[in-house]
Amino acid sequence: MSVLLAAVVGGLFAIGTFLILRRDLVKVVLGVAVLTQGANVYLITMGGIEPGSFDTVPVLATHGDYVPDTADPLVQALVLTAIVISFGTTALALALTYRAYQENETMDVHQWR
Amino acid sequence: MKTTARIVVPIVFVVAISLLLQGHNLPGGGFIGGVLTTGAFALIYVAHGLDYLEVGVLGRDVEPGAGVFEHRTVTAYERAFILGLAIAIGSGFAALLFGEPFLSQTYEIVHDVPIYHEIELATALVFDVGVYLVVVGGLLTILSVVGAE
Amino acid sequence: MAMTEQIVIGPMLAALGSIVLTLSTRRFRRLQRAVSVAGGLAYAGAVGALAWRVVLGAGPAAYQVGGVDAPFGITLVADELSAFMLVIAGAVGAASIAFSAAYVDPDNQAVFYHPLFHCLLLGVAGSFLTGDLFNLFVWFEVMLMASYVFVAFYGGEQHTAAALRYLVLNVFGGALLLLGVGGLYAVTGTLNMADMARRLAAPAAYGIDVEPVLGLSALLFAAFALKAGLVPFQFWVPGAYRAAPLPVVAMLAGVTKKVGVYAIVRLYFTVLGGLPVQVDVLGVTGDSALALLGPVLLLTGTASIVLGGLGAVVRDTFEETFAYSSIGQVGFIVVPVGVAAMADAEPLRRFAIAAALVYALHHALAKGLLFLATGAVRSATGTNRLADLGGLAGRSPLLGATFFVGSLSLVGIPPLTGFFGKFLVFDAAVRRAAATGAAGAAGVVVALLVGAVLTILYTSRTWTRCFWGARTPPVEDAAVDPAHAAAGAALDREGYVDVIDPVGGVEE
Repeated sequence: MSVLLAAVVGGLFAIGTFLILRRDLVKVVLGVAVLTQGANVYLITMGGIEPGSFDTVPVLATHGDYVPDTADPLVQALVLTAIVISFGTTALALALTYRAYQENETMDVHQWR
Repeated sequence: MKTTARIVVPIVFVVAISLLLQGHNLPGGGFIGGVLTTGAFALIYVAHGLDYLEVGVLGRDVEPGAGVFEHRTVTAYERAFILGLAIAIGSGFAALLFGEPFLSQTYEIVHDVPIYHEIELATALVFDVGVYLVVVGGLLTILSVVGAE
Repeated sequence: MAMTEQIVIGPMLAALGSIVLTLSTRRFRRLQRAVSVAGGLAYAGAVGALAWRVVLGAGPAAYQVGGVDAPFGITLVADELSAFMLVIAGAVGAASIAFSAAYVDPDNQAVFYHPLFHCLLLGVAGSFLTGDLFNLFVWFEVMLMASYVFVAFYGGEQHTAAALRYLVLNVFGGALLLLGVGGLYAVTGTLNMADMARRLAAPAAYGIDVEPVLGLSALLFAAFALKAGLVPFQFWVPGAYRAAPLPVVAMLAGVTKKVGVYAIVRLYFTVLGGLPVQVDVLGVTGDSALALLGPVLLLTGTASIVLGGLGAVVRDTFEETFAYSSIGQVGFIVVPVGVAAMADAEPLRRFAIAAALVYALHHALAKGLLFLATGAVRSATGTNRLADLGGLAGRSPLLGATFFVGSLSLVGIPPLTGFFGKFLVFDAAVRRAAATGAAGAAGVVVALLVGAVLTILYTSRTWTRCFWGARTPPVEDAAVDPAHAAAGAALDREGYVDVIDPVGGVEE
């Protein structure tokens, strides 16, 4: 599981970095969003993913005998906060992108006056 | 689209409110309830347009040509945002009056209520309602203002 | 919980309350402005009461938000360091908001200017008070979210471009911060700073690998240095400062940069200070994380001083001159921090940190004053290009005097704050040079001297260009509004008041 998650984090960071370096502003903003998601997945991984028990995850008590691997609840709370923050930031970035497009009539960062 | 909205929107509202009400000790809460409610409003907005809530539901006239910030629905969203912020922060201040730390919560179980038998009244619900209003008001303001561009 | 402890959260409550009140009075502009200024004063008052409690009264205080205890709840901690930084924020914040009410175009400040300003103050207070690494990230984002909007505030194409650059960079920095925080959580099993410091001081007892901590702290350092605008992370500074409204720039330069410096000091000295780890990287050896921080800070600090000074000398508008100047001045703040990190003896370490703090106070006041004065110049003459200005001193003596005092303070003429700041910084650097006798330590002193000379050069350049000489047409036509000059002068006076007690920081 950890290897898979490490690969996902690596992939997200690679895609994010690639997109941030593009000339198209929308791609840059998307890259920023992907990068923060990479950081979020990383946070979940860092909390450790272990077999859950009914003590650590009370909700599972109503789900029968099978208990899946569970992530640390603390990092889940952190990631929830980070997602809300990145949501707000991305919304602002998109609004600014639209404004930049209106002002410059191009999405190409290199053609800005 | 309009038919879908007609069926889906009431269901979403009920689920959103139930998430909001159980949020203090079960999965759910103000934020997720607010996001769901926003989804319902967004569906109405996409299906019927910004003026629908004023003209179709409330039966009021909409002044044509005014800016989106003057639109009565949008000012209502803004008011919901501010009210929610005030409620959330006010619920935190209320704890200060009792000498407890900011945002302290407590709960009271009320017995002998008809039908429900007992209801848990948590102060966290007040905070959750505040968060709910902030999320609904904020997201819908963003949606309608950006959508009007 | 005793009522006196509630004071810890006071500044944040003042800012939160002001956000709600300024939002709900947004239809009544005059009332909103009055409420906002009152909120700024309440913030400064709460900060003053907290500082009184921490420095002169019962010592450091901790506060559990919502009454949930330490490892799980949100902890706020006010010690001498955070109280000192908060005092800076309170002084500059209150003055900037009073100036905004007079200076920023009423139509522009009508809707969201004041709530956002208090949001900025809230984020600053949260960053200084939080006792938890993840919440440091959250408060950074609160602060940054407000400043993104301010950079894009005037809505020209340059402003939008500057805001986007600023935003993308800081989101990237935020991701780095998250990586560092998450890694430290995985290594130590806690996010609470005090708890983490305790565990890192005895890594064997808690089964902690110490080596990853060094790399993770480097990630955090990069994120904080980006916020502080240190070389090589300085490139967002001029664009953002040119775009934002000037009272906000006074806040950005005076306070939010200090948040980055504060976070570096807090992380390395409070959290990692006790970490026993053998460092041997590129010839740098030592037995704690601080051994690695020292050379890095000295290098980036001296580079910032030289590059900021050189940049300031050749720019042709007020804002850019002072933006580059503040890159250099942050260098002056981190150099003594670097000296402290490399100091072997405890007295020199404490002394160097105190020097950094006094310089931070000086820079916040002097640069705040200069940016507000720049605002007054621009609103009076409609231009900020040095070439278009001349003879301002004769046209408006009060404005001239304000600017003159700010410049003198920046240069470091007694009895202004700059003198004490520079004196302490040089003293710390020279003591280190004397103690080690290394060529590098002497090189730092030389760089500080070069920076001081460059400061004289660019302040005298702006002064002779704009305030002396023949009056140019914009200056002749200037409508000097006494209210603007008075608001600038108010901070001016504050500068004097703080001069009376400049050694307040040395106690820490």
